[in-house]
Amino acid sequence: MIKLMLVVVSAFLLSSCNETVDNLYKKVMPKPSVVAADDESTKGGAAADDESTKESVIAADGSKFKSSGNGFAGSNIKSTSTPISPEQVAVADLKSSGVKFTLYFSFDGFGVDDAATKEIIKHANFMSENPKLKLRLEGHADERGTREYNLALGENRALAVKEVLGLYDLSSRIEVISFGEEKPIAQLHEESSWQKNRRVEFIYE
Amino acid sequence: MNKLVVILLTLYSSIALAVLEVTVLKQDEDAFPIVISPFAVVGDANQGRAIANIMRDNFNRSGEFKASSASYVIDNNIDFDKWRDNKTEAIVFGKLEKISKKVFNVEIELIDVYSSKTLYANKFAVHDSGIRRIAHFLSDQIYHALLGIKGSFDTRLVYVTVANKKDGEREYKLEISDSDAQKPQTILTSPDPILSPAWSPDQNKIAYVSFKNNRSEVFIQYPFVRRKTEKLPYFDGIASAPAWHPNGESIVLTLSKNGNKDIYSYDLNTKKLDRITKNESIDTEASYSPDGNRIAFTSNRSGQVQVYIKNLATGKINRATFEGRYNAKAVFSPDGKSLAMVHRVGKDYRIALLDIKTKDLTIMTENKLDESPFFSPNGGMIIFATNKNDSGVLSVVSVLGRQTFELASKAGEVREPNWSHYSK
Repeated sequence: MIKLMLVVVSAFLLSSCNETVDNLYKKVMPKPSVVAADDESTKGGAAADDESTKESVIAADGSKFKSSGNGFAGSNIKSTSTPISPEQVAVADLKSSGVKFTLYFSFDGFGVDDAATKEIIKHANFMSENPKLKLRLEGHADERGTREYNLALGENRALAVKEVLGLYDLSSRIEVISFGEEKPIAQLHEESSWQKNRRVEFIYE
Repeated sequence: MNKLVVILLTLYSSIALAVLEVTVLKQDEDAFPIVISPFAVVGDANQGRAIANIMRDNFNRSGEFKASSASYVIDNNIDFDKWRDNKTEAIVFGKLEKISKKVFNVEIELIDVYSSKTLYANKFAVHDSGIRRIAHFLSDQIYHALLGIKGSFDTRLVYVTVANKKDGEREYKLEISDSDAQKPQTILTSPDPILSPAWSPDQNKIAYVSFKNNRSEVFIQYPFVRRKTEKLPYFDGIASAPAWHPNGESIVLTLSKNGNKDIYSYDLNTKKLDRITKNESIDTEASYSPDGNRIAFTSNRSGQVQVYIKNLATGKINRATFEGRYNAKAVFSPDGKSLAMVHRVGKDYRIALLDIKTKDLTIMTENKLDESPFFSPNGGMIIFATNKNDSGVLSVVSVLGRQTFELASKAGEVREPNWSHYSK
């Protein structure tokens, strides 16, 4: 029975997999929606929008760079001899289109809600269209509580994202790692920082 | 072999870094008042003067003593009435005598002021390089003579420091020091986080977690001999939270095979892995009881983060904590009767002490972000990491709640303390 249900769920998700990323953009864009893994961290998601747009320095067509010295755009300007792979261009495209490369979580939570699932599905589609790409999911936690427990919590967050991607048969291309509370984005000892630090980062390789 | 060790120690001390600053936060008025006199010096033995100073600092940090000096060198000729009026309960005095270029004799005596009796006396030769060690050894002896329990002075700490470099990168250092934070030595420098260092029971090895390969892995380093650092075998997922079996032959750690975080025991001799917990929830932060028969660990199996104890003989797992919604990273006291842990109070994380039998929970601190508690080897103190003025410091609280002192670094944060067993 459980197996059957899984098949049904997979079939449902796979149907949306046929949509191209472009189509998905049209649905979700033009305004990037605020994405949070659940309610409590909505503000965190909003705050992180600024961060992710800062990183999106590669133009959509991948040919011209509006460099701010960030990400691999900056490094490519210096070494023109290194050709940019089509995969890199595709990742840059995806990023500049406003798809979330960071998902945020509630305190001590690792659940993935509908909005987050929608974002994850965009990545699933993208990976399906770019079969050479591998994805590293990095799970993180805020500083509260013990370091070792937070390391475990960070892995659970990344695993929760992987579980959704796994429905698209992408598990073998996904690596999950956790840094716990060791690599915070924001340094203040208060909620404004904590909500930015409870996250999973999507890193394509 | 001994020669090799000596050479390496010298090598390490030459790259020694900033000593942590020790600040005593509370001086308790009821603490046991003793006087540790400056030692008499015969011949050119001035380097030995440090012994009395080191001992005084040791006793003052312990929280159980109020150690002061005397304005003159005390010898056998003691005016007991004067010291009784002065409410001094014990007097330590001694003599240093040079017998060769780098060797001198030390004599020491501890006298109980009320009975006028000698409680401890000793005489031996000390090499120049052994002054600190001898001062700690004598502190332990005198502590024992006065309280009937061993001191924790002739022991070592290991901790992690974190500094922000000018280029914006972070620099993590694994450092060891004497129990009074003196003689610091950096045994590992890394751009990647270092976690959960733990002294082996024989005090020759340190297990820790490093992210140097971009994931958490457990390593074992030999700080005093030239032997290659070992990495525990690769396991899929997290490998973390190492803790030694009291016999030093195995390590418990958290592994997340197939994503499921459970506790395993890894035998360092046979290289065999034994699963200790099997549960879909997070199980982590295991630590052995001193007799090796029980393991305390953190689990969210109830939906809350709580501490559990597994009896290794019966296989039974019992929940240990019931007060509060978050209890984690428990460590056994050396007598096996209590657990120190991180306990959430409202929004704050504090160090708490749990009596395992009665379930009485005592909150030991008043901070916001305490973590990583660990007992001194005599069980008298708990060292832990906390935040002060937005920076990580180490703090020590007496189990009697009497006194705390702090260890801070000018260079950055200090965290992840662990206290060695007794020296051999």
